[in-house]
Amino acid sequence: MVEAGHFALVLAFVLALVQASLPLIGARIGDARLMAAGNSAALAGFLMTAIAFAVLTAAYVQSDFSLLNVFENSHSQKPLLYKFTGTWGNHEGSMLLWVLILTGFGALVALFGRNLPATLRANVLAVQGMIGAAFFLFILLTSNPFARLDPAPIEGQDLNPILQDVGLAIHPPLLYLGYVGFSICFSFAIAALIEGRIDAAWARWVRPWTLMAWIFLTGGIAMGSFWAYYELGWGGFWFWDPVENASFMPWLAGTALLHSAIVMEKRSALKIWTILLSILTFSLSLLGTFLVRSGVLTSVHAFATDPTRGVFILTILTVFVGGALALFAWRAQALAPGGLFQPISREGALVLNNLFLSTATATVFVGTLYPLLLEALTGDKISVGAPFFEATFGPLMVPLLIAVPFGPLLAWKRGDLWAAAQRLVFAFAGALLVTLVVALFIDRASVFAALGLGLGVWLVLGALTDLAMKAGLGKVGFAAARRRLAGLPRAAFGTALAHLGLGLTTLGVISVMSLETEHIITMKPGETTDVAGYELRFDGLQPHQGANYTEDRGVFALMADDGRTITQIVSSKRLYTARQMPTTEAGIATRGLSQLYVSLGDPTDDGGVVVRIWWKPFVTLIWIGSIVMMAGGTLSLSDRRLRVGAPSPRKTAVTPVPAE
Amino acid sequence: MTRKQKRLSIIAGALAVLGCATALTFVALGQKTSYFYMPADITTANIQPGERIRLGGLVEKGSVVRGQGTRVTFAVTDAADSVHVTYDGILPDLFREEQGVVTEGVFGDDGTFVADSVLAKHDETYMPKDVADRLKEQGVWQE
Amino acid sequence: MLLWLTIAFLTAAASLAVLLPLASRRGELAGATEHDLEVYKDQLAELERDAARGLIGGEEAEQAKAEIGRRILRIAGGTQAVDGVQGARRTRVIAAAAVLAVPLLSWGLYAVLGSPDLADQPLQARMSKDPSDSTADELVRRAEEHLRANPSDGRGWDVLAPIYLRMNRPAESVTAYRNAMRLLGATARRESGLGEALVADAGGVVTAEAAEAFERALQHDRADPKSRFFLASAMAQEGRLDEAADAWRRLARDMPQDSPWQGVVAAALEQAGEMTAAQDETMPGPTREDIEAASDLDVEGRAEMIEGMVARLDARLRENPADLEGWQRLVRSYLVLGRKDDALAALERGIAALGAEGGDAAETLRNFAAQQGLQAD
Repeated sequence: MVEAGHFALVLAFVLALVQASLPLIGARIGDARLMAAGNSAALAGFLMTAIAFAVLTAAYVQSDFSLLNVFENSHSQKPLLYKFTGTWGNHEGSMLLWVLILTGFGALVALFGRNLPATLRANVLAVQGMIGAAFFLFILLTSNPFARLDPAPIEGQDLNPILQDVGLAIHPPLLYLGYVGFSICFSFAIAALIEGRIDAAWARWVRPWTLMAWIFLTGGIAMGSFWAYYELGWGGFWFWDPVENASFMPWLAGTALLHSAIVMEKRSALKIWTILLSILTFSLSLLGTFLVRSGVLTSVHAFATDPTRGVFILTILTVFVGGALALFAWRAQALAPGGLFQPISREGALVLNNLFLSTATATVFVGTLYPLLLEALTGDKISVGAPFFEATFGPLMVPLLIAVPFGPLLAWKRGDLWAAAQRLVFAFAGALLVTLVVALFIDRASVFAALGLGLGVWLVLGALTDLAMKAGLGKVGFAAARRRLAGLPRAAFGTALAHLGLGLTTLGVISVMSLETEHIITMKPGETTDVAGYELRFDGLQPHQGANYTEDRGVFALMADDGRTITQIVSSKRLYTARQMPTTEAGIATRGLSQLYVSLGDPTDDGGVVVRIWWKPFVTLIWIGSIVMMAGGTLSLSDRRLRVGAPSPRKTAVTPVPAE
Repeated sequence: MTRKQKRLSIIAGALAVLGCATALTFVALGQKTSYFYMPADITTANIQPGERIRLGGLVEKGSVVRGQGTRVTFAVTDAADSVHVTYDGILPDLFREEQGVVTEGVFGDDGTFVADSVLAKHDETYMPKDVADRLKEQGVWQE
Repeated sequence: MLLWLTIAFLTAAASLAVLLPLASRRGELAGATEHDLEVYKDQLAELERDAARGLIGGEEAEQAKAEIGRRILRIAGGTQAVDGVQGARRTRVIAAAAVLAVPLLSWGLYAVLGSPDLADQPLQARMSKDPSDSTADELVRRAEEHLRANPSDGRGWDVLAPIYLRMNRPAESVTAYRNAMRLLGATARRESGLGEALVADAGGVVTAEAAEAFERALQHDRADPKSRFFLASAMAQEGRLDEAADAWRRLARDMPQDSPWQGVVAAALEQAGEMTAAQDETMPGPTREDIEAASDLDVEGRAEMIEGMVARLDARLRENPADLEGWQRLVRSYLVLGRKDDALAALERGIAALGAEGGDAAETLRNFAAQQGLQAD
């Protein structure tokens, strides 16, 4: 049924065209039937895309090499799981996943958007349809996964072994759910601009979508970083590689959007800025798609020699970003200005957050695109790597992170900075203590490590302080505080958890950056070496045959001081036979929150083997923190009030104090 | 504060942050980026000892010497010239003679290049983009 | 047939999805405000449900209710009516266009992009269908599956080995021959086949390993023509053209006139003669073509393929001339093909191109050509 899948994809394109036009016209002339057609077109379009995707997946699972895409990216001897995940482990398949998620979100709006104003829903669906139509056309014309081969080859060329990993099964779908999730915010922003009307109900709708996209994107980035950490054998968790930056920029902008949407929802302020951020966030998602999918990253020249795909996505990018910004410039004035607030207030803190996050986004943007631009214009090649980002992004994050605990403690409209600071005195004391302990008692610790770890602790304790204050701890009795804590809205827990997670991730990053130890030695079987208070014994190399690879396994025993074996670490060098491609599989042992990371090098002439050993203190906090952030987002998303289109139950919102 | 003053104070704050960020970016672009060189460029480029650069080319045939333990020396060549490189660590999986390689580090006083990272051509996930076409441009490697 | 039914079904489903809401009578002219009112009523109902279940505090619920009430009052002001008749006619036109567009556009686009006549070919089905319908690839694949399950089936390896070679998979042919010999013992045919596979794997060069295989074949059968041919080729490769020619001549004499090897040997002899005359002893002996011809492939097809490869190399160098190695290969290829004029032209072009690039690449190319007996003007 391969061809039926192909036809379903064509139908999905046509339905996207219908979805892009009918509701738009309907909203314009006020015809409910035309607007309703957008709903069913969105649902049917999603169904057709799902059929196409299912057909492609089936072709992968059954090794149907009459599809060019399957032939190029699969192999009959590949484990079933990787046949399955191979569906989106390549350009064509991943683009199909992209539109599947896009139409899926469109279908969700069509299904659950019943309590949206009809014209708003129609316009949102129309914009979704336009994005969909553009990408369906891109797939059909330049990256068709259903291109056939006749006669069909008998064996495929295999998937790049680096991509044969469980991480791949999860990482791209999560990332795409995030990228594409922001398309909904974009569509809402465009719809609001078309209507020239925006109210708090708009923000109520946009915030959950932003939150959901943000949760997925956070997960996708964390997963990608974890995957690079254990799969590439370098022990690094973030490389400031353009591909990573491509996903990081929408995350930064999305985080800013998340916060500005709160201000807009609760205080009706920052409307225009929120609209702009929605547009920018999805534009950065599109830019990420362009950077990764056009080949421009591997080489500006490669892009110039085979321009079809790149130019197509660049056109999509230009039309949507340019169109949206033009519409913004034209219509933004029509939107009613928002409420007022003092610089020192919850709103002010959120503005500060937005200011730093968007500036940080800009520096990442410059660092990512400047080399491309420079090369295209002058031919000079520079590499902008970690040192650049550490010198620009880092300093911008410091004031932001210092400010984070203050935000939730400030009142809306007019806050009291001094009162907030007094409440944070415990967090400050804790941070100071950690800084001093690290600076005085831990070897090798630099000022950077001491201050950085102090900052992490400040964030963690600040988040806990926030919860304690909301529960009224200190003011009321302990039992009463516990009751009040249990009665807090989930969104309050969400905020605290997300900030707590940020603190944990900061702790992990700083601790690995400043306290990690690395040594490279040659080991012969039976030899031992000391690592961070443990003893590591090399027990020799064992050949092993995998499903589609052969490997030499280096077996190590991790022993405590007293010689007791704690665990076994296996690190191996693999050779994937179909592509004759070697890879390194790192051996990792987790001790508490820290990890011992063993990577195998080349054998030496005298029967030993080069071994690279890292001790990575608190490295797991990086990902635990991300999970906590996601949990915070999820909790906030599950808050009932988010789904009721009702205003905030805050007292200040009901009896507003006139601004001075 | 009046409405105008409030707005001005916010704008002033924003401009200050933006200004700092811009300054940071420019300084970092000047100092923290490393230029990419081929061995043939080295003689003409005026590279100070201690300046971080990336050096790319092919691993010269027969030049790889594995010393005591983890120390490796090899030569990077682009057919016109070659540069001696020393590296202490584990070479990437795809490090081979006559294969493309990119090293990053600084020149020592004796003219050898002391690399602290070595990337091989087919490390697909971590191949700096600028290198491949530069090598191709010079006809040093063909697909 | 099933495919067309599916396509028709999908088209119908998509068209209906567009048609049904357009055809419905429900809410023909719901003004924006009416809908908003409905939304707010909806919200009030939801709020009350939540309040009843204790999901939202009583005080908060009251405030929310008040706010929603205020909004309802705000929109109660202006309701504007749409001209019903005109609106309906416009809708009908647009609806008709949309409903028609779905089948027309999709069928048109699919006609351009799709390949409806190609059936699915899942691997499992291809492996289990009637062998007489299978392609050579599929049969080999089945044999492979069989051998994976029974790796000690020597006859299987024996049958597969020459087929691999013919399919241009020499490395696998080498393995298959080795397995066959391990399980069934060596014969002249297997040893010489192994040698031939090794030669093919080395890109047409008779390696020491291959030569040993041929020697072993001759121990089994003194007259084995394949081994004798390749051993002579080995001599020619080392530059011992006269000895090679002698060996080939003896081989031709010993073989019956109708042997397929006669033609191959004659061709090799002729070329050896030419080379001796033209270039003294600098040119290594038999070329790839001899070897390809020796395996009983379609000789003309092979030659065509080689010509094609050379033409591609030529074209690539026109686009990207800064490639010393490429020029060397091109010049040599033309010489091997016996097209001396083309070789000379390529040499001159190469010198010009490399000279423009600077460096001593042009000189290197000139010297290389001189070694091959070719002088540029």
